[in-house]
Amino acid sequence: MAWRLEVHHSTTYRYTGQVQESYNEARLTPVTGHRQTVLSSSLEVTPRVTPYRYADAFGTTVHSFDLHQPHDHLTVMGHSVTETSAPMPILNQLGWKDLRSDRAKERYFEFLTLTRLVDLDESMRAVCEQASALDDPTEAAIAVFGLVRKELTYVPGATAVSTTASDAFNAGNGVCQDFVHVSLALLRSMGIPARYVSGYVHNRPDALLGESVRGESHAWVDVWTGDWWGYDPTGDVAVGERHVVIATGRDYKDVTPIKGVYAGAALDKLEVSVELIRRA
Amino acid sequence: MLSRIAESMFWIGRYVERAEATARILDVHYHLVVQDALIDESAACAALLAVMGARGAISENVTLEEINEVLGYSLAHPSSIAATLFAARENARGAREAISSEMWETLNATHHALGGRVATARSLGPNSFFRYVKERAAVVGGLVDSTLCRDDGYRFLVLGRALERVDMTARLLIARATVADTPGGWVTTLLCCSAHEAYLRTYRRAVDASLVAEFLLLDRSFPRSVLYSLTEAEAALADLDRQQARSGVDDEARRLLGRSAADLEYRRLDELLAELPLHLGELQNTVAAAASAIADRYFRQTKPMEWSA
Amino acid sequence: MTDLFEGYELDRAFDEMFGRESDPRAPYAALHETLRLLTNEEFAERCATRDRSFRDQGITFSLSGEERPFPLDLVPRVIAADEWALIERGVAQRVRALEMFLADVYGAGEVFEARIIPRRLVYSSSHFHREAVGVNPPNGVRVHVSGIDLIRDEHGTFRVLEDNLRTPSGISYVVENRRAMSQVFPELFASHRVLPVATYPARLLEALRAAAPGGVDDPTVVVLTPGMYNAAYFEHSFLARQMGVELVEGRDLVCRNNIVRMRTTTGERRVHVIYRRLDDEFLDPVQFRADSALGVAGLLNAARAGEVTIANAVGNGVADDKLVYSYVPDLIRYYLGEEPILPNVHTYRLGEDEVREDVLKRLDQLVLKPVDASGGYGLVIGPQATDEELANLREGIIANPREWIAQDVVQLSTSPTHADGKFQPRHIDLRPFAVNDGQRVWVVPGGLTRVALPKGSLVVNSSQGGGSKDTWVLADPLATSLQPDRPPAPPSMLSEQALLFDAAPPDPGPMDGMGQQQQQQQQAGS
Repeated sequence: MAWRLEVHHSTTYRYTGQVQESYNEARLTPVTGHRQTVLSSSLEVTPRVTPYRYADAFGTTVHSFDLHQPHDHLTVMGHSVTETSAPMPILNQLGWKDLRSDRAKERYFEFLTLTRLVDLDESMRAVCEQASALDDPTEAAIAVFGLVRKELTYVPGATAVSTTASDAFNAGNGVCQDFVHVSLALLRSMGIPARYVSGYVHNRPDALLGESVRGESHAWVDVWTGDWWGYDPTGDVAVGERHVVIATGRDYKDVTPIKGVYAGAALDKLEVSVELIRRA
Repeated sequence: MLSRIAESMFWIGRYVERAEATARILDVHYHLVVQDALIDESAACAALLAVMGARGAISENVTLEEINEVLGYSLAHPSSIAATLFAARENARGAREAISSEMWETLNATHHALGGRVATARSLGPNSFFRYVKERAAVVGGLVDSTLCRDDGYRFLVLGRALERVDMTARLLIARATVADTPGGWVTTLLCCSAHEAYLRTYRRAVDASLVAEFLLLDRSFPRSVLYSLTEAEAALADLDRQQARSGVDDEARRLLGRSAADLEYRRLDELLAELPLHLGELQNTVAAAASAIADRYFRQTKPMEWSA
Repeated sequence: MTDLFEGYELDRAFDEMFGRESDPRAPYAALHETLRLLTNEEFAERCATRDRSFRDQGITFSLSGEERPFPLDLVPRVIAADEWALIERGVAQRVRALEMFLADVYGAGEVFEARIIPRRLVYSSSHFHREAVGVNPPNGVRVHVSGIDLIRDEHGTFRVLEDNLRTPSGISYVVENRRAMSQVFPELFASHRVLPVATYPARLLEALRAAAPGGVDDPTVVVLTPGMYNAAYFEHSFLARQMGVELVEGRDLVCRNNIVRMRTTTGERRVHVIYRRLDDEFLDPVQFRADSALGVAGLLNAARAGEVTIANAVGNGVADDKLVYSYVPDLIRYYLGEEPILPNVHTYRLGEDEVREDVLKRLDQLVLKPVDASGGYGLVIGPQATDEELANLREGIIANPREWIAQDVVQLSTSPTHADGKFQPRHIDLRPFAVNDGQRVWVVPGGLTRVALPKGSLVVNSSQGGGSKDTWVLADPLATSLQPDRPPAPPSMLSEQALLFDAAPPDPGPMDGMGQQQQQQQQAGS
């Protein structure tokens, strides 16, 4: 069953004084793909500017903008309406032999490689031994998600954006970003291509039409075992009609919602709110 | 023209003029003290250091040799001739595309040759060193005249040079006033400005203290006089200002310099001479205020940004 | 009188001046004859002239923070017309293929699908910047300037040692070396027809103007330098002056809404093309190092939006990667359907297990290079390395095979070089510079010949204490023009008119005082 999801994502930076200049890039706009169709999207910045829009190397829509008048706060709002679809059956399932062929390794090199954030240590290697012994890569991937659920406890604020997979794994807790980084590290170490996905999730499967629900930026995993399929290790659910995709990449660094540089006063407070409304 | 380059041109003008004027002032001072047994060497030297804004450099019992080190030879003292010429050369290095190759080579070669000249001066006396510095400044001046396009870069250089000349001529006069009045003293002052002959042709009479002050402050044709330099600086600013108002003067630096020139020109001479040190001090303040106004208008915003992520 | 060539010893390496029988090769005959007749005192005098001239002009480079005159050896390196024709074609061919390669890896990636070069190899290069994907240069050129380093092996064959497609430096020394040589040894130029190098800045400016965003009739070009404390600052300043454009630092530029302007005393002025001599990592704090105060925030997106052209393009460094280098002959075949004109030096790829095992066994016989360094940094010459260096190297390779390549030791060719009061053989290489204006790749005739000054040394980089030589490409004896790639200029209107004009001699002035006085008196009396 398809949903129609309206999202309003607002981020406000408050500074201790005046900021003179500021250059930013926002990745807040969903892109039409095989799981979703974007009906409308816009980006609104205060103080008012006209952003420049482009697609990055991973196909994500980026808005870049710069401010040159002194300002003590900056608000970036992403608005969108997206039609999403139910979880798809996993097609074209490959066996380990095909997955580990040169051709697959070559094609999905970026999503098989560890990064600074998606790293691996001996204790992580040890836990996925069993999973990698499974006959079928798709089952192995599902087993990995089970492992991650078992090893990690969801604790808001437990980690920072720069926390690595191994740090989160050894601490035993984290947020969605850490669930994803740990999953990616384990999957990639087994030779299963996997990528980071950022977006939004509507938390109520039984949501009423028109009801506004508070949400937050979310992240999950795309796995390739002959075809790409999504899984949300934090919520322990398949990716479906409640998920809106914004960006994909190797790790969090490729999908950072807003990044930039500024000159002037220091950052005082960051206010973020996400509002989700099911429209159909 | 790039603001950063304009600033370099302005400072090349100032530094070269400063080096030359410092050489002239040290030259006057040295010969005055050496030739006159009645002068207290230490007191005169301390007073000169104060006039040159380097009072803190040496504590007590200043000798002529020490003053030549501090104001002449030592790269460690920012106001020395050597350090000033080095600063001019560094500015030229950063602005090579705005000046002629000959000009750059002259400043560069001067800097490289200075070490040897200093060694000679330390063993044989400062005279040849001062002459060398004046000669090189003259070469730079000649190349400015014959090889630079009359563009904004040229104007900033001329502006810097003229402002520095006002400042330095004021210091020269103060330096003269710090040693006891001696018969040959004012002649030496004129000589060191290359102004003795010009003075004689102008006044056709013996050197007289008040006439010398008048000549160096107010003469309209002598290029090192304060009034001439103020006028030159003001003209350079007028050429640079492309949005001149129909009435009055918007440009702060121009206003400051113009007012100062008018004040000198229209003040009664006896009044001026009676309070000479006061007026000389004011002139220096005017130069500082004008330089800061010029920086605000033309050179600002060229500092690198410090970004936070 | 002793001959400065006395005791000149030939060894295994190919010597540029002398053949096996110790006779000068044909292109060197006249040069040899002139140099042979010089005494050491005469030669030393010319060296002193050279040093003074370089120092006064500030033709220096920084070594460990100290300004030194650029070391020019006064014996030029001579390249015959036919040899040069080969180099010129070979370099141009290589640049054309690498242009297509860069457009491909930052675009469709067809070279990966065709399995010519592994994607993993390109994507894992530290100089592959995903930020450059989607930045499409207006006239398609990414390699506006390149320096392709060549060496000559024991058989006299020119081989490519490395490609420099980022910000190759040295062209200012090529031009200044020639100028110094013509002052120090004017008589040599009378006996040789040497192709000129001084047209380089004009060619570069044309190429940069051709690279401007579309629809701009009269583009403003600037040179972007990290500042005067950069080792190559002399060159940045040289190029700006010779092209007649502004030399800017990052702080002189500001980018607003993708429009780049420079701060001038009369307000801000639009900039269209930036010839940058600043590494990618420092270019734009928004995309790369946020702590860079040398760059310009927003620059890369301005280029992406097509409002400014960055030359050379961001991300070119991936083609300089020494592992990618090992694939260039294949890239030439794939993109151009041609056989490579200039061969590579045989290179071992250490990512392949068997190759690595073999190389690890004979580290002491090979040259090992870090894949992403230039300027000779990190290079280890096996036969000259200590046991400790080799042990460290082995560990480094095992830990990170992607970071290294190995090559056979090539005896670079030698050339007579003035050392200890006589001419001695020293190893040299050659960096020709190519300029691509989008229509054709032009190679400046000659380039920078670098010399390893210590006896037996194979490291020529100036950052490692190397020197240089003026490089003479001799005109084809059959050609009539010194600019073989340009038709001879027709006589201009001006010169024709000048021939017709019969000017009066300059006013001699008063011939003597009396005559003038009389004349004046006569005038007064009339």
